[in-house]
Amino acid sequence: MADLSTCPPLTRASVKVAHERIKPYIHRTSIATCETLNQIASTPQCERCPNAGPNIASEPAPHGHNVSGDVLSYTAAPKVRLFFKCENQQRIGAFKARGAFHALGRLIEEEGIENVRKKGVCTHSSGNHAQALALAAKTHNVPAHIVMPTISTPSKIAGTKSHGANVIFSGSTSDEREAVIREVIANTGATLVPPYDHPDIILGAGTQALELEQQVEDLLAQQPDLGIRGRGKLDAVIAPIGGGGMLSGICTALHGTGVKVFGAEPSFDGANDAEIGLKQGKRIEKVSTLTIADGLRTSVGAIPWSIISDKEKLDDIYSVTEEQIKAALKLLMERAKLFVEPSAAVSLAVVLYNESFRQMVQRKAGEEGCNIGVVLSGGNTTMEAMAKLFAAPEETEERAEAKVGVNGERKAENVAG
Amino acid sequence: MADPTTCPPLAPSSIAAAHVKIRPYIHRTPVITSRSLDVIASSRDPRVFLSENPPPTLASEDVERSRTPTPRFRLFFKCENFQKIGAFKARGAFHAIARLVEEMGIEEVRRRGVVTHSSGNHAQALALAASTFQIPSYIVMPSISTPSKIAGTRLYTSNVIFSGSTSQEREAVVNEVIADKDAILVPPYDHPDIILGQGTVGLELEEQVDEILQQQQAKNASTTGLDAVIAPLGGGGLLSGVATWFSDKAGTLVFGAEPSYQGGDDGRRGLAQGKRIEHVKTLTIADGLRTPVGVTNWDVLCDKHKLEGVYAVSEEEIKMAMRLVFERLKVVVEPSGCVGLAVVLFNREFRALCASRQQMGMREKEEEGWDVGIVFSGGNTTMKAIAKLFAEVEVDGDAGDEGSANAEREAGKIGMDGERRVEDVAG
Repeated sequence: MADLSTCPPLTRASVKVAHERIKPYIHRTSIATCETLNQIASTPQCERCPNAGPNIASEPAPHGHNVSGDVLSYTAAPKVRLFFKCENQQRIGAFKARGAFHALGRLIEEEGIENVRKKGVCTHSSGNHAQALALAAKTHNVPAHIVMPTISTPSKIAGTKSHGANVIFSGSTSDEREAVIREVIANTGATLVPPYDHPDIILGAGTQALELEQQVEDLLAQQPDLGIRGRGKLDAVIAPIGGGGMLSGICTALHGTGVKVFGAEPSFDGANDAEIGLKQGKRIEKVSTLTIADGLRTSVGAIPWSIISDKEKLDDIYSVTEEQIKAALKLLMERAKLFVEPSAAVSLAVVLYNESFRQMVQRKAGEEGCNIGVVLSGGNTTMEAMAKLFAAPEETEERAEAKVGVNGERKAENVAG
Repeated sequence: MADPTTCPPLAPSSIAAAHVKIRPYIHRTPVITSRSLDVIASSRDPRVFLSENPPPTLASEDVERSRTPTPRFRLFFKCENFQKIGAFKARGAFHAIARLVEEMGIEEVRRRGVVTHSSGNHAQALALAASTFQIPSYIVMPSISTPSKIAGTRLYTSNVIFSGSTSQEREAVVNEVIADKDAILVPPYDHPDIILGQGTVGLELEEQVDEILQQQQAKNASTTGLDAVIAPLGGGGLLSGVATWFSDKAGTLVFGAEPSYQGGDDGRRGLAQGKRIEHVKTLTIADGLRTPVGVTNWDVLCDKHKLEGVYAVSEEEIKMAMRLVFERLKVVVEPSGCVGLAVVLFNREFRALCASRQQMGMREKEEEGWDVGIVFSGGNTTMKAIAKLFAEVEVDGDAGDEGSANAEREAGKIGMDGERRVEDVAG
């Protein structure tokens, strides 16, 4: 890896330089808005559940398991306008392309392209970083050795292979993985490009926040009604956190701008190590969870931790249940028409279903309301995975597919669309 | 309905005028492009990209040139799935309402209200457009309509009336509403005002593609605009609107795309026999296209200067296209909306036609391929419907377990060796 001592400092200015380095290789992904999601997000949860009458969501809104059960007490009514940063449409389908291109770019600057090509690069990753590094390496004609745990999804394995990388499988524990990586480095002399615990990765990942900030300003200058009247810019950004490369990158990019940054985590089986870690003041080093948010199944790295535990840089982290992630995913697909992976829906899930977050926003933004950037970190999932997640009882499915009528009949003639 | 005799003529200038009227109420939806989809569409056999281990899509340098010429495409997707109410129908509905108000005055239209019959997208569109102007609407929906489309319609009107799915049953109910409320009929597609509204899709698509091509600074400066546009064909409002817009651009050919299942390709068959087909009974997954081409639309589509041809695809081909749209483009498009891409990727006749035209055109310029606009007409589908379409197929008891295991692998719940252990797995 590019020597830590020669890395640029972790500042907003460094993120801007990083952006210039990677611009030719990445997409400036679009910003999406959705009036329906704005309305749902700005409606108290107690008014969104079906027994409260006709509602916009038209779906039962799942609620946290730590509540006594009375949804009607969830009365927070923050006024929000959401701006989705579509990193699902980034190269290789996730924001990881940014960190990978930046890390490799810096390595080439430091050691020269010939050296880097001779040694090659390596990493360990369940999916998105694997594909990202494979693409960046192929782009610069650098050999890549990617260690993937056997639990990686077949589509992510295929994606990594399709960019010409040499894929080596390992067990899913860190001990097994580290053993394999050590072997690879011993055999090939390849340089390690870690998935998140390095300044070059953090700076690369942070570039999405610079784009988001500027794009929202530009958008609101043209269409002010899309945001809170008179605001003209973002008030806050919320992004998912797994290893913390992205979230710490965003914190770094927005430091000093006044934009508040929040993290979103799954809570299933201890996946919310960052949230708990912040509360107890100590980083949690090991996480073992099968949350559907498969990109977030790791503990926060040491360098990201140093950034996100700084109250000046990160405001707070909130977590959500598996059911809440699923519900947010469903809304993103069905209302906003965006195809995202479960990890990417975690941010929206917090906005819609975490009552503490909602109360905080209502308190701080008040009557006026606020503009919130929501990062959709990636879209690498498959139709099969979605089918499994959303399978329904037989009868309901046929109605959903318009194969059978309200009265059970199966006839259709000249039915206009 | 606004009297057809008072409607503007079906010409590009009328579509431009329609655009001005509806612009404040609709979204100028994005046009997206994808390097991967271009490579896939320009390959000898796009199907290989749907296998377990698809080849890379980085560049077209590995494309084999086989005996059958391979067409080359640069695709531009007009994303009407992001439109108001999730489909292009919002355009026709807003234009129809705007013209009614022009013709009769807002008071009269409010007094009488509007009525229509629709299984979904037009229902929601009209309900939205009417409610925007505080006009009551009465929407007759066949009971086979999907629950989500019924719910979507109910967001904007309390007057949803169910009918049976045959045209006789439907017309009876609509006539009852007209008799009872003196409501004005706004049909889903067979009216010039609707056609002109839908045609604005073509107008925006052309403008947006021109912008993109200018930004990309196309190698060949003489390449201007789209070589072809393809849109799904159901009742024909969208296709005839788009065909009308491009009717004065000789360099842009317009094509229609239909499902072939159970006779859903009535447009193609009707054109082949020279006579409009009046009844269609199909349960194709392309649920927005289960209707025959309308009378007014038929006249437009018969005109060879406006419509070059119509091609049909199977249910499997629609599903394959849908998978690529979701998994590669990362956007949600309903099955009806994926039919155009399915034709471009899988219809042999269409691909052969494009390849031979491209070869003919090679005299003047380098083998560059065609710039093709594809209309994603809507995105109104549900996770439940997708789950049904893409659930693992169970052959017997054991295969059921295997199928379920594949899905678990896809969700990252189980390792290749069957283990369920995971620790600090970086993303």
